[in-house]
Amino acid sequence: MEELLFGIGISAVAGALATVSGAAEDTESDIGSQGDPNSQVQLAPQMGYIHRIYSKAISGEPPAYGLWCTLGAGLAWALMAINYNPVLAIVLGSAIAVFVQGVYATTAYLGRTASLAKFEQPVYIDLIKSVTTVTMAHAFIAIFTCVSMCFLMVNALGHPFPLPLLGIVWGIALGAAGSATGNPFYGKERQYQSQKFGAGVPISASGNIVRYAEAGQRSSLDNGWFTSKMGGPASGVCFGLIVFLELWRTIFFESFAAGWGAVVAGIVLIIIFMIIDRMVEKWARKTYGPYTEEKEATA
Amino acid sequence: MSAIKAGGGSEGMKPVAVVVGIILLILALGVVYYLSPGVAFMGLLGVVIGGLLIGFGVHFVPVGGAPAAMGQSPGIATGVTMLAAGAGLAGLFGGAWAAEYGLAVALAGGAIGGGLMMAITCLMVNIIYVYAMGIPAASGKVAKDPITGDTFEAYKSQGTEGHGLPFISYVGGVIGGILGGLGGTLIYLELLEVYETFLPTLLNASPDEVKALAVGLAGIFAIGMFLVNAVIAAYNITGTIEGPHDPKFKRFPRAVIGCAVASAVCGVLAIFVVLV
Repeated sequence: MEELLFGIGISAVAGALATVSGAAEDTESDIGSQGDPNSQVQLAPQMGYIHRIYSKAISGEPPAYGLWCTLGAGLAWALMAINYNPVLAIVLGSAIAVFVQGVYATTAYLGRTASLAKFEQPVYIDLIKSVTTVTMAHAFIAIFTCVSMCFLMVNALGHPFPLPLLGIVWGIALGAAGSATGNPFYGKERQYQSQKFGAGVPISASGNIVRYAEAGQRSSLDNGWFTSKMGGPASGVCFGLIVFLELWRTIFFESFAAGWGAVVAGIVLIIIFMIIDRMVEKWARKTYGPYTEEKEATA
Repeated sequence: MSAIKAGGGSEGMKPVAVVVGIILLILALGVVYYLSPGVAFMGLLGVVIGGLLIGFGVHFVPVGGAPAAMGQSPGIATGVTMLAAGAGLAGLFGGAWAAEYGLAVALAGGAIGGGLMMAITCLMVNIIYVYAMGIPAASGKVAKDPITGDTFEAYKSQGTEGHGLPFISYVGGVIGGILGGLGGTLIYLELLEVYETFLPTLLNASPDEVKALAVGLAGIFAIGMFLVNAVIAAYNITGTIEGPHDPKFKRFPRAVIGCAVASAVCGVLAIFVVLV
């Protein structure tokens, strides 16, 4: 019983760490414009819209976070192997991984933006100074919490994978969950804030992103401020639920029916989420209604 | 024929390439059978089947890429490979944990882990679309949802190809996660058995001493092979796919052959680490 309670407690802590990690990951990627909406940041100057939005999308979020979390986890693992305190090892590992992220962000911004020189898009040096450090700070939180979560899985819950391997697994999953959940909010609601609410961006409007703020030109830091109110927390909830429920169903139900209990619990959870999704979908159709007459559409 | 122009079924398959691929597959299986007809051969067979499952499963995952991030097309706003990898690796995490309960429980645990990851992710995607963006789900590829019967044409906003995740895409995402988790776990477990069998002799050590090395090697090879198969399937899809109702889904036979060959070749290399 005591072991079970300990396991559930660790699952809750890991879930909380994952929630913070997911929120920080999405906010970092939105400030640095690393997700899929960056296609519009890259396209805008080609359509004549010069902007001051950061651009570091030379790889997707999942492989990038796979790299950074693996670096953080691998370095922490190596430091722990030479008897460093685990907390200090994870902090140092994450800090070194963040320097790699900083180098990546700087070179990515310079490379991506310089490639737009023929469209007269300037490279803003002050942007590198002001935005890069902010993405690094958010990346540190995301990596530190993700590696801490992996450490708990190995040392407290006894997962067989070594720490660096869990860094790859959960780093990629973190990027996948964060980009899947956070990208539409950053893309549609922020980059195209001038478009009508409650509808997708017409393809003809592509590239015409919002470039001005209340005073002066919009900065990527403004984008982080905006998405941290919805896209970031939602990404955090997504990744937190994935981690917590994966651990919880295993720890709580694995002892039933020779391991099949965790499988059945997983199936029940999937069905519950499926029902909730269908309810959300039906609610949206009923509340928002069709854009055009149904008859016209089926004709 | 280019990948972009390829249609469904066997269309787009070059007979010469298919024959060369099958010869490579048979050659890989034959070499391993010749060297070790027992554990290693069965391991390679498991790796090939795992690769097929991953390649097939990726086709179910609804991925909308960059246009989905602006609500211009349906699906999840990220890349095919990485979303599938995220789900499959989450499954691998669960499967590896359940390995002590036997093959069946571990495979089921891996499959459900991948499915659960996709179920949560797809739900959060729809929650963002509906509650944060005020946009209902609408498919751009079919007029009606094959499961719920919902019509889509009137629910597509002007100038877009649809948006969000219709229920058929949600179900496709979960199936894709299940197949990915199952395939990744199968590859891991088969390689783990091979390493646990051969490493003690190779390193002249006890099974307990090589356990950590075997788990690490099997885990990293399983992740690598997962990415190989997911990338092949992503190339076959070329960009975006809505799920099992998308016409691009019919292209899966080509990916299945490609994944079988790639898995066999990668599997041979993974097994040769301890066999030769």
